[in-house]
Amino acid sequence: MIWVSWRQHRSQAIAGLSLLAALAVFAILVSTSMRSAFSHDGLAACLARSEGISCPAAITGFMNSFDSVVNISFWGVLFVVPGLIGVIVGAPLLGRELELGTWRLAWSQTVPRTRWLASQLALVTAGLVLLGPAITAVITWYREPMDRLTGHFINRAYDFEGLVLTAYILCAFGFAVLTGLLLRRTVAAMVAAFGPWLVIRLVVEFMLRPRFQAPLTLRQSCPEGCNATMGLDAVPPQTGHIGDWVLGVSINAGKQVVTNYQPASRFWDFQFIEAGIFVVLTAAALGATIWLLHRRAGWTA
Amino acid sequence: MTEIGRPVIRQGADGGVPALRTDRLGRRYGKVWGLRNCTIEVPAGAVAALVGPNGAGKTTLLQMIIGLLEPTEGQVKVFGRASRANTTQTLARVGYVAQDHPLYRDFTVADMFHLGRAMNLSWDQQLAVARVAELGIPLGRKVRHLSGGQQAQVSLTMALAKKAPLLVLDEPVSSLDPVARLEFMRDLMAAAADSALTFLIASHVVAELERFCDWLIVLSRGHVQLAGPADDLLGDHRLLTVPRATADSELPGTVVERIDSDRHSTVLVCTDPVQLAVQGHAGWQADPVSFEQLVMAYLQRPAPTVDGDPGPAAQRPWPSAKAVTR
Amino acid sequence: MFRFRLDGSSGVPPYLQLVHQVRQALLLGYLQEGDRLPTVKDVAADLVINPNTVVKAYRQLEHERLAGGRPGQGTFITAAAAPVRPEAQDLRDSLEAWLRAANEAGLDEAAVTALIAVARRDLSKERERAR
Repeated sequence: MIWVSWRQHRSQAIAGLSLLAALAVFAILVSTSMRSAFSHDGLAACLARSEGISCPAAITGFMNSFDSVVNISFWGVLFVVPGLIGVIVGAPLLGRELELGTWRLAWSQTVPRTRWLASQLALVTAGLVLLGPAITAVITWYREPMDRLTGHFINRAYDFEGLVLTAYILCAFGFAVLTGLLLRRTVAAMVAAFGPWLVIRLVVEFMLRPRFQAPLTLRQSCPEGCNATMGLDAVPPQTGHIGDWVLGVSINAGKQVVTNYQPASRFWDFQFIEAGIFVVLTAAALGATIWLLHRRAGWTA
Repeated sequence: MTEIGRPVIRQGADGGVPALRTDRLGRRYGKVWGLRNCTIEVPAGAVAALVGPNGAGKTTLLQMIIGLLEPTEGQVKVFGRASRANTTQTLARVGYVAQDHPLYRDFTVADMFHLGRAMNLSWDQQLAVARVAELGIPLGRKVRHLSGGQQAQVSLTMALAKKAPLLVLDEPVSSLDPVARLEFMRDLMAAAADSALTFLIASHVVAELERFCDWLIVLSRGHVQLAGPADDLLGDHRLLTVPRATADSELPGTVVERIDSDRHSTVLVCTDPVQLAVQGHAGWQADPVSFEQLVMAYLQRPAPTVDGDPGPAAQRPWPSAKAVTR
Repeated sequence: MFRFRLDGSSGVPPYLQLVHQVRQALLLGYLQEGDRLPTVKDVAADLVINPNTVVKAYRQLEHERLAGGRPGQGTFITAAAAPVRPEAQDLRDSLEAWLRAANEAGLDEAAVTALIAVARRDLSKERERAR
């Protein structure tokens, strides 16, 4: 079955590797100039000395040059890519077999269909578990100079570094395998899986992630007058420590700047929690698929 | 003495283990029974035809035989061993060519054989390679670049290479053009001659069935109407021309179909020569019935009542006499 | 190699057609003792018919001692062409006379065949009743 799974997913594997290669090429091209600018502008030394407080001009200049390449809209597009990878790989697994009728060939050889499905899922999941971290590694390497200014916790770094990217892909994959079984059509399955995945992604990222652990609060008194015009994305952040994730800055009546934030040290905790959520969803979707396939007696025609 | 028309089911003469035996097999989809009360037998080595219109339950029956579908009631036995859907032992016993012979379009012929080898316990790679070489199908060609007839041949080759003793084909030629159809059947007959395999071929085409099958199963509206050795079934039926006034009860054997003209009736009866001789009248004419006439008559019988009890024999009215009711 | 043919519309079962063709060929001299009949596979593929039918036909021929199988070699004609019996020759002559008369009476081939069929049917009914 290993050969069969491999052969059926060969073109997807090649596409995945091509994507990875293209990403790597892009990363190398941009990162080279990013890295040289980083050292040229003396940012490393500045960070070492004062965590960036003493060289705001250099930081602004650097970010203006390179943040456009990693800016919000770009991230908005990249946001959906793990979902797309997942549904594109997952929907045809059962969806295409049922749509084209090849299940009558596949499940009438001598391998019972639940074993067939388990083997397919094992191999493809393994492939995604290799692809995900590979993409993560490339992006992490590519962002490295930028991350030294922004930290890993901000959305556009967090979403692609650590564990969550792989988990996002797996979740979309799991959903699409299930919808493929239920809808018996590839494209419909992709759409039906992507929608919920996207909703969950948005809910987890914007509503749940800030609260995985109770945020910390920093109060700073400002006798000379409070300056709260610092944005949430400021470098360095209001807490003064690069890598902290600032959730909110306000001025209270007692002339204090109140900052709610998640400390940088919690990055990996949060990664584990979020990845855990998506992996559990993946397991639930795949488990339901296997159970339904096992229980369902047959399909007409 | 006539009985209400019952399905005519004959057993094989051979004492050996039948290749296939079903016992009151049935399958329900929600509230509808796709197949009910199906008890048939196919002896080893036979080339059996399963005939019926679309929706009669052929695919349902075949998939339960293969092990792709679980019966709601009843049992399937292949070469004496009970079948359980989706288990290795059951799946290994039957080779299958599904309707429209599905293959992976992106695979080469060699890839398909590799799949067969990987997914089956026994696989005759030599046979597979030799067959496609003989048929002029290159191993390196992708399935989507093969003609419909060639794809059908590859599907058949895979089923043969599986080395299962029973081979089931679901309408193998209905999607092929006439030339490809002939070539496929020619090849299938040659493969049957070469081996001791038992074949079960489902078809909704009744014409030309006689030359292919020695065992016949007629399925209509989810029920078996006729089953048994083709020659015997033909020998047991006669087309009688009798005076119009003759009642069904006066006719020998079972009345299958009756067509009334003004002064005479043509009646298809299931009887044997002795009964016919005993009950026959001077004014009657008895002719043998053709294969097609026999199958069509049984296909057109009205649906049985609840519980699989067959309804009365078909009365075929003159078409313009009244509106067709359904 | 002797080649069979199949008439799909004749109403005669295929295996009987094969048997008849061998009998007829023997009578006409087209098959002789020692000739090898084609293999079951060849006939099945040539005529596109069920090989079991061919097997049945060959068994029938064996039963009538017209042909016999030699293991590993095939099926061979075992009977010499039956010499035409004198009675049969008389019958043949009167048949030809009858056919000429029918022709002169204006009956075409189809009418002659129908007439023969009706006569045979009536005769077999008589025989069945007599039993």
